[in-house]
Amino acid sequence: MTVACKRVNDNLIEALRGIVGDRLSTAVAVRDQHGRDETYHTPHPPDVVVFPDTTDEISRIVTLCAQREVAVIPFGTGTSLEGHIAALQGGVCIDLNRMNGVIRVNAEDMDVVVQAGVTRKQLNEHLRDTGLFFPVDPGADASLGGMAATRASGTNTVRYGTMRENVLALTVVLADGRVIQTSRRARKSAAGYDLTRLFVGSEGTLGVITEVTLRLYGIPEAISAAICTFPDLESAVDTAIRTIQTGVPVARIELLDEVQMEAINKYSNLAYPVQPTLLFEFHGNNAGVVEQAETVEAIAAEFGAAAFQWETKTEDRNRLWQARHDAYYACLALRPGCKGFSTDVCVPISRLAECINETRLDINETGLVAPIVGHVGDGNFHVIVLMDFDDAAEVARAKAFNERLVARALAMDGTCTGEHGVGHGKIEFLTAEHGDAISVMRALKMALDPFNIMNPGKIVSL
Amino acid sequence: MTETLKPDTADQVLDAIKWAAGEGMPLAVRGQGSKEGFGRVVDVPHCLDLTGLSGIKAYEPSELFMTAMAATPMAEIEAALRQNNQHMAFEPPDLGRLYGGGNAKESGATIGGAIACNLAGPRRIQAGAARDHFLGFNAVSGRGEVFKSGGTVVKNVTGFDLSKLLAGSFGTLAVMTELTFKVMPAAEKTRTVLVLGADDSNAMKAMAAALGSSNEVSAAAHLPIAAAAFSNVSYVSGAGKSVTAVRVEGPGPSVEHRCRALAELLKGYGAIEELHSENSGTLWREIRDVRLLADGDNLIWRLSVPPANGGDVVARLGAEIGGRVFYDWGGGLVWLSMGARPHAGHEIIRAAVAAHGGHATLFRAAADVRAQVPVFEPQSDALRDLSVRVKQAFDPKSVLNPGRMVEGV
Repeated sequence: MTVACKRVNDNLIEALRGIVGDRLSTAVAVRDQHGRDETYHTPHPPDVVVFPDTTDEISRIVTLCAQREVAVIPFGTGTSLEGHIAALQGGVCIDLNRMNGVIRVNAEDMDVVVQAGVTRKQLNEHLRDTGLFFPVDPGADASLGGMAATRASGTNTVRYGTMRENVLALTVVLADGRVIQTSRRARKSAAGYDLTRLFVGSEGTLGVITEVTLRLYGIPEAISAAICTFPDLESAVDTAIRTIQTGVPVARIELLDEVQMEAINKYSNLAYPVQPTLLFEFHGNNAGVVEQAETVEAIAAEFGAAAFQWETKTEDRNRLWQARHDAYYACLALRPGCKGFSTDVCVPISRLAECINETRLDINETGLVAPIVGHVGDGNFHVIVLMDFDDAAEVARAKAFNERLVARALAMDGTCTGEHGVGHGKIEFLTAEHGDAISVMRALKMALDPFNIMNPGKIVSL
Repeated sequence: MTETLKPDTADQVLDAIKWAAGEGMPLAVRGQGSKEGFGRVVDVPHCLDLTGLSGIKAYEPSELFMTAMAATPMAEIEAALRQNNQHMAFEPPDLGRLYGGGNAKESGATIGGAIACNLAGPRRIQAGAARDHFLGFNAVSGRGEVFKSGGTVVKNVTGFDLSKLLAGSFGTLAVMTELTFKVMPAAEKTRTVLVLGADDSNAMKAMAAALGSSNEVSAAAHLPIAAAAFSNVSYVSGAGKSVTAVRVEGPGPSVEHRCRALAELLKGYGAIEELHSENSGTLWREIRDVRLLADGDNLIWRLSVPPANGGDVVARLGAEIGGRVFYDWGGGLVWLSMGARPHAGHEIIRAAVAAHGGHATLFRAAADVRAQVPVFEPQSDALRDLSVRVKQAFDPKSVLNPGRMVEGV
């Protein structure tokens, strides 16, 4: 069954102008920019882009689109990776960037209400003097509305969780234009089904998230980081696993393989050993941080770590983590002119070493240039395949490699996507992974969006 | 008279629900029935008894997860975990005493019930809710379709988060047959710092200070003198004052260090005492299981408010309602026990709570009261409509636990 949306016509554009005035564009450049993400997916521009200022305007826009069965695609910063923002059926792209106000910081209750267009870095800037921070840090400086919609995570999930654990409530414009608030400010909601988390990760397919209430954390009294080099991938991964199993409350454990280390050294002008490496960060009070680091150092030594180097100075630590955040761009520099394609499987941590090892062998056999980075504390790792998107044979090789990788992860009871999401790029993998649940998801989608106007063609196709 | 269907396998659960959906016969879904007093009464002629679906299916301590059949007793799960120094970090409560009128009998609570009711204990403020530890499940929807979601990985973004939707759905969307959940290393040592004699308002401040510090507090509760008197920990019941309790857990040296830091931080709020592991365990179980209010058959309300507001809500209610209270989750959770009154006083209570952006759940009351008074906070029309649509997507014939959460849904 296909439920097709209608296209935008002049009459609708006039009606939209009645709501947003000049904050609307049909210019090709603007539409192109809103139909393209940072990946190899084919761009699909929307018919028109609107830039609303308020939830009420969005409600009126969606109401108009619902009456005319025109697709609605919410857009934050366009940094998703699986074609989430592609306007597969044209329609109206709602760009939330103008809704970038921090509405209220409740320092005592450690929460904050933001408009959906506020980015994660902007929020942390705003919080700087409060002693609080928001931990979820995907690579891009994404909007918090987009992060909620894609259930984003980052490098410190192992301690602070993903958006799933950190969104307390949402304001959402539903597919018929009505506005709901999913929960009150109280932390614990037992007032019905958990609608907040139904929308977290729904990728814009159930409604437009316009405001987000987020949980905040106290900036730790002490933060320290360490970098540790290993003779091989397996001992690095085993160190990470043992650390988690021991219950050390590390804030971050990131794995970078030797190819990635070489890329980082070149890109960030550093001189780390070109070997499999773990980066750690510890949060706590002064004594706690020392204790955590010593425990991990002992574990690492057991697995043959070469050196365990502390970075206690803020600037050294920042340089280290900036290098990690720039990993993707560093990779691109390995093969100038190429683009990166990132895989995203996640497996139970007990299978992680095996999965990464088999994948490394596969990469070597396939002859791809493909560094590995991983949020190994969660069992999630990325292979960044560098390729020439114009070389059909190379693209085919990369895709075949990814299919093998997903199959490998599923066979180990893992998932095809730990954090990038489904969009339209992974719909087929989702079916392979969750067969029966797809019909449940489809029933939910149809119940909440009967005309299939909300970001159609993502997660489930109708 | 109720007819009971007692499947022993997931296939038989499927058969039962297919039959129910085909015939339009609603089912009361039941594990051991330990939380039957929670939520509304499901008054239908057929009961789906899941106790045949019991047993741990997969548990390797190093994997940090467990898979168990839906009606596996919590006692069995906890015993298996204890042998490996692990636990469920969300600290699921045992409400046997609460719903048994204070009797000390084993509640028989099951893992399916714990997740379906999404109940978490004092550690929720640090470790999250039950749903945050719930990784995946196999289930049968009200449509009579088998499906599974999630798995054994700790994070995924594979479409709609069905695990979170089923947690806290009280068996109204689907019948879970098998659940996978996180297990974590248990702390080596537990200590509790007590502050004696703080009034409610100062206690909220003390708890906020403790939780905002870098001492990794895993629980913070405040027991006014009337509630403290019911504790079996002599330091608490014998204090003759209110008791504010702050818990730290972890490796020995770190716990001791953090206790010292907290004692220093909190000394301005009252005299400081400290509980070691055994007394700590007793006190936090009493708080977790609401034992301090479990005696008799008083009405019990659970008020959920933004953490800093608990004291204000109680102050507002105090004159009007009376009763005995205590606070958990740094003041974000208020347990209130009170004598019978018309409609359980729900309008007064809900008005006071709503003024602070919270909501109230009628946690214990006679069945007829729960039939008249909304047990859960009434939702706005739009939210209610959305919930009805979610229910219809899973269970269009409304055969699973109809009316358990909301009348007519």
